[in-house]
Amino acid sequence: MSLRRSVGLAGAAAALAVPGSASASLQQVLLPGPTPYPTQSPPLVAGGAPPPVSLPFAVRGRAVERVLAGVGPDGELLSLRVLHRLVLTGKGDYLIVIGAPVEDVRAGAGSDSQPGLRTDQILWSGFSPGKKVLAADAELRTSEAGRFLPLRLRAVREGDSYSLTITNATTVPQIAYAGKGFRRQLAGLLDQTRRESLAGERLSTVYATVDGLVRVRKDAARTSAPLRVEGSLRFPAAPESARGGTVRGKRITFSAVLGDDSPLSLRVDVRGGGGAPRLHVVARPTNLVRALVPPGAPSWAAAVRRRAIPADVLLSRLIDTRMQLVRSDQYQAFLSNPDPQGTNRTVYVYESTATPRPKAVATPEQDSGRGGLVLVLAIAGSVLCAGAVLVLWAHS
Amino acid sequence: MRRLAFLLAGLALIAAGCGKSSDADSPGRIVIAVDVPVTGSPYVAQTIKQGVELAAGNLNGSGGIRVGSRSYKLDVKLYDNHLSARRAVENTRRALDAGAVAVVTDGTGIDATWQIARPDGVAICIAYDGGTGLVDAAKRPNVFRIAPTNRGIAFRFAEYLIPKKLKVALFGDDSAYGRQGAADVARAFSGNPEAVALKLTLPAGETDLSPQILRVRRSGATALLVWAQPPAIAAVLSAARSIGWNVPVYAPPTGADPFIRQQLADHPSWVDGLTFASGRMTAEVGTAPFLNFQSQYESTYGVDRVGVRNAAGEPVSQPPEFATYSYDFVHVLVAAVSRAASVEPDKVLAALNEVTTEGANGDERGFNEHSHEGVVDDDVYFARFEDMVYTPVADDALSATLPPIPQTASG
Repeated sequence: MSLRRSVGLAGAAAALAVPGSASASLQQVLLPGPTPYPTQSPPLVAGGAPPPVSLPFAVRGRAVERVLAGVGPDGELLSLRVLHRLVLTGKGDYLIVIGAPVEDVRAGAGSDSQPGLRTDQILWSGFSPGKKVLAADAELRTSEAGRFLPLRLRAVREGDSYSLTITNATTVPQIAYAGKGFRRQLAGLLDQTRRESLAGERLSTVYATVDGLVRVRKDAARTSAPLRVEGSLRFPAAPESARGGTVRGKRITFSAVLGDDSPLSLRVDVRGGGGAPRLHVVARPTNLVRALVPPGAPSWAAAVRRRAIPADVLLSRLIDTRMQLVRSDQYQAFLSNPDPQGTNRTVYVYESTATPRPKAVATPEQDSGRGGLVLVLAIAGSVLCAGAVLVLWAHS
Repeated sequence: MRRLAFLLAGLALIAAGCGKSSDADSPGRIVIAVDVPVTGSPYVAQTIKQGVELAAGNLNGSGGIRVGSRSYKLDVKLYDNHLSARRAVENTRRALDAGAVAVVTDGTGIDATWQIARPDGVAICIAYDGGTGLVDAAKRPNVFRIAPTNRGIAFRFAEYLIPKKLKVALFGDDSAYGRQGAADVARAFSGNPEAVALKLTLPAGETDLSPQILRVRRSGATALLVWAQPPAIAAVLSAARSIGWNVPVYAPPTGADPFIRQQLADHPSWVDGLTFASGRMTAEVGTAPFLNFQSQYESTYGVDRVGVRNAAGEPVSQPPEFATYSYDFVHVLVAAVSRAASVEPDKVLAALNEVTTEGANGDERGFNEHSHEGVVDDDVYFARFEDMVYTPVADDALSATLPPIPQTASG
């Protein structure tokens, strides 16, 4: 749906914004960013009706999140918690409903209020006297929320060797468009995009001028959020050697950017260590650096003055990098912020955890199922008995 | 013989079919029991009862409640608990026998009644008592409350008074209400002992509190926070003002009880400055929702007269604050019935955690799995008396945003 929406937006802009003074074939096309995002989640959503928006204009929201993923020895996801800290500024009433596959929620450290819990909803309600901190510590259902995490981890231990593969899981196919752009304008837009990326700002809305028809690009575009990953593996004993990381006593440390013209996965191979390690990986959606470096010049504007970079290459680079920045911005909010204009920052932390024990409590569904069966048997028995009595009476 | 058997079976089927058709056509009844102290605390009883009846009347008047293919009317049954826990237990049993889906109460006897109602899945809603521990979503899953909580009020008092650098004397009378409230206030101020001049328990039935007030004055107190029933608050005001001590006096929602103004009607200036905390009657959307409710309430039941006049000789009326809470609960209950698509109490009980409605004051009302409190602490505001009527204070962030509610003919 969002892919269609992107193309639709571009098309709509192209159809409506033809400059009168220019040639009739010139069109203004909307470039990707800051929204829409290429997929619906993140931020997480819950099924059913969308939650009501009840944040007055005077109140703004800034969200900081820490997503804690507990992983097993093979890297599989076992638990998922989110520490969601929403700072409201401004005076007014608020009713905030954050949809997510939430199992349980309690107030986080420093919260000025207590969160409520409904089926797949975290609730906040009250009055902000000027500033209010709403901190939630939410436990999520891994089966539903886990697939929206930005990394996949896979660990293999064979004999004396251990290998960990960390993969950027944010890649999605996207429809990108192509057309005949204007080199100087495109270079200027690349410089603007680079400035916003380096400053860590959300992209501003921009248009590019295209001469003639806009068409869908033939090469299948795939977009990933660039992720800065840092981590460590703590072994029972000092490993003999490591590839993809640095040995520091019993620890192996590693870091990389997955995306931004760099590989989307990282592999760490370790020999020795005396057993399974404790893993700690931190991932942050980050800005683009490498993909927006101008070739052989301090700026894209200077680069196109020095050599003839084709306009279609510039347009392609502009669209691809902006889509990556949109995807990065999307992962800055794992739970939603009620203020669509509010800033979001999310850190994803993966840590080794013990395998959770299965819950021994019978579910209500099981109980009701059994109750239903008993009821059916009772009714069937009653009907048979009544039939038998009727037959006996009729033959008497 | 066989023919007779078929004939009987056919007749039975026809009879069963007729019965079903009759049930489907006639409106069903959803019984809401109101268990209040009609003869123990008439003002509280009346306001809760009238809130429920007004909501039920409105909903019945607009065709009732549709659940599946059948419509239902709300049927309100009144019980008098006489402020007695034992009577409340008897009343709850009678309400269950009458098929009640929910019981609305002032809070009397709740420690026992919730256990009686729970096996039947019947919800109990407290519409007055803010006592801590009465409501616990985990331990008492069928108890709900739409009324300001003592804990929330105490917390808001601490938030409001401590920055004023006052030395506050904390009073509680020796009623259950006073003891519970005093404990909550003590907890709220426990992090700032420098703000407390002393703590004192007052005898609830005593009309002359001069010795206690003299003792408090000597302690260096610069403000009094009196968590007590209306007679004790009136007695504190009398004792302090009669010796010319214009110390600021703060009170919980009982401070707005007409009884205090009636007692001090001969000295209206003694009431001036009395500040009480309660749930706000208007939300950010403005006064319209509450005034609309008040208009309906007064056109049905008449104006609640306080029994005193202001300086201009105008009679003073009491806004129907607590009636909004019982009124709101009926609407939340009906929303839960609709969500559950059932009138079975246990299904309605489960659905009560999942719905929100707009309250009579324009605020959202609802419960959730973790909180069965319909009035959040943030909704507690402060109002101060002047010339026998009260207006929200200007030195509290929430209260300053609230418009005054007219209490005389000239507003």
